[in-house]
Amino acid sequence: MIKENNIKFIFLSLSLFLIILIFFFPFFWIITSSFKSPEEIIATSTTIIPRSFTLEHYNKILFNSDFFIYLKNSLIVSFSSMIISIILSVSAAYGLHKLKFYGNKFVEYSLLVTYAFPGVILLVPIYLLFAKVNLLNSYFALIIVNVLFATPFAVWMLKAFFKLIPNEIEEAAYIDGASRYIVISRIIVPLAAPGIASVAIFCFIISWTEYLFASILISGDNLKTLPVGLAGIVGQYQIDWGFLLSGAVLASLPVILLFVFIGKYFVSGLTEGAVK
Amino acid sequence: MKKNNIEGWLFVSPLVIWICLIILVPIYIAFELSLFNVKIIGTSGKFVGIDNYIKLLGKSKFLNASLNSLYWIIGNAICQTFFAFTIALTINYKFPGKKIMANWIILSFIIPTVVVVVIWKLMLSSSSGVINSVLIDIGLLDEATGFFSSPNKAFLSLVLINSWRWSPFLALIILSGLNSINREMYDASKVDGANFIQQFFFITFPNLKSVLFVLGLVGTLLSFNIFDIIWLITKGGPSSATTTLPLLIYETAFTKFRISQAATLSIITSLLLLLFSIIFIKSMAPKEDD
Repeated sequence: MIKENNIKFIFLSLSLFLIILIFFFPFFWIITSSFKSPEEIIATSTTIIPRSFTLEHYNKILFNSDFFIYLKNSLIVSFSSMIISIILSVSAAYGLHKLKFYGNKFVEYSLLVTYAFPGVILLVPIYLLFAKVNLLNSYFALIIVNVLFATPFAVWMLKAFFKLIPNEIEEAAYIDGASRYIVISRIIVPLAAPGIASVAIFCFIISWTEYLFASILISGDNLKTLPVGLAGIVGQYQIDWGFLLSGAVLASLPVILLFVFIGKYFVSGLTEGAVK
Repeated sequence: MKKNNIEGWLFVSPLVIWICLIILVPIYIAFELSLFNVKIIGTSGKFVGIDNYIKLLGKSKFLNASLNSLYWIIGNAICQTFFAFTIALTINYKFPGKKIMANWIILSFIIPTVVVVVIWKLMLSSSSGVINSVLIDIGLLDEATGFFSSPNKAFLSLVLINSWRWSPFLALIILSGLNSINREMYDASKVDGANFIQQFFFITFPNLKSVLFVLGLVGTLLSFNIFDIIWLITKGGPSSATTTLPLLIYETAFTKFRISQAATLSIITSLLLLLFSIIFIKSMAPKEDD
C-alpha cells in the first residue's frame, strides 16, 4: 500500500510539474517579455528573469495604433453573438431535453455533426452568399457565423444542466396552473443559470477568438476585429515583437477578465457530468 | 416521459432554421459553382458538369493535402489524447491548488488563436527563442534549429502547438466522464487488490465510452477544420508540407481566385466528413437507455 502511494505521489508531482511548465510557463513568458526592452526580446541569449522594464510597447499600442477600434469591433461582435447564441441554444436545449419529440435524437446528433460543416468548407460559399445579399463588411456577417459555430456545442453543454432539473418541479407548476412561459422564465432559466453562464462564456470565447471568417468577410479597417488586427502584425516581414506581444496580452485580457468572474461555471459546465 | 411533438419542434426550430440556412444555402451555392467554370467572383462561367471533380481528383495537390489532413488528424488525436488524459487524471487527484489549476488550465483555449501563434512563434524562434536556448543549455542541441524550416519539423511543431491549445479543453470533458464514475467501484477494486494501472484500464477507460464517443467525433472534425494556426505560422509550407485541405481550399479561393475549383474542393471535403461522421455514429454511438 505504502509503496503504491509513493509511486502515485511521484507520478502526480512529475505530471504537475510538466503541466505547469508546458501550459502555464508560456503565459509567464509573453507577459514578462511584453515589458522587456526591444533589444532584450530579440537577444540571442534569452533571459528567464527580465533585466529591463519598459512600458513603451503598451504606450505605442494604446496611444499610437488602431487598438481601440479593433477592441470596440470585437466587443460588439462577441456580445451580440453571445446573446443570440444563448437565446437559440437554451430554447433548443429545452425542446430537446425537456419536451422529447419525434426525431429529437436525430436533431441532437445532427447538431454534433454540424461541427463538420463550419470552418473553411463554408468559407467560399458563405463569402459568395453574403456578397449577394450585401452582408460583407458588416458586424452581422460575423455574428451569423459565430452563432453557427457556438450553438451546437452550447446545446450539448446545456443537456446536463437540463437533465438535473427534476421533471416533478415542472409538473407541479403546471398543476398549479402556470403557463409554459412562466415555467421557463421562473423555473427552468434560474435553475439552469450556471449552465447558461457556461454557455455564455463558451459563445463569447468562440466569437472573440474567431479569425478565419473575420479576415475574409471584413475588409474595411474600421470594422476589423482584434485577431485580424493582430494577425496583420504577425504577417509583417520585420516583426515588431514588443508591439505584437503587448497587443497579444491586451487582446487576451477581456476573455481572461470574463473568465475570472464566470469561468468556474464554464469549467463546472464541462466537468460536472455533461455526459450523464 | 410523454412526447411533445409540436411544441418540441417549435423550441428547436429557431436554431435548426438558423443552422440550415447558413449551412444548406451555401452548400447549394458551392454545389452549383462546382458544376461551372467560374474564375472570378461575380462573373458567370460556362457549364462544365463534373469536369471540375474529375480534374481535381487527379491532381497531386489534392492528394497531398488529403494525406496531410489525414496525418494532421492522426497526429493531433495521439498528442491530444496523451496530453488530455495526463491533465484529466492529474487534476482528478486531490492536491493543494487543485481548484485553481482546474479552472485555469483552460487558459490556452480561451485566448485568441492569433495569440497562440504569437506565443509559439516567439518561443520557437530560431534567433531568440527561449526553447532553442534552453535546449542548447541542457545539451540537447548544438546550435539553434529552425522549428518551421524543414517539412517534418514544421508539421510536428504545428501538431504540438495545436494540441497545446486544445488538450486542456478536452481534459475537462474527460474529467466530466471521470466525475460520473461511481467512486465505490474504485474502493471495491482496491479490496480485490487492483493497482491504479489496472483500475485505469478496467474501470476508468470502459466507463468513459460516451465521453470518448463525443470526443472522437467532434475532436476529429474540429482538428480537421484547423486553419488559422497553420496559416499564420507556416502558410502551408515549407514546400506544401503543412498544406491541409482547409489551407488548400483557402489558397485556391483567395490567393489563386479559382472559385469553382475551391467550391469543388469544399463539396468533396464535406462529403468525406459526412461519410466519416455517419460511419462513426453508426458504429460507435453508445446505446442510450433513457
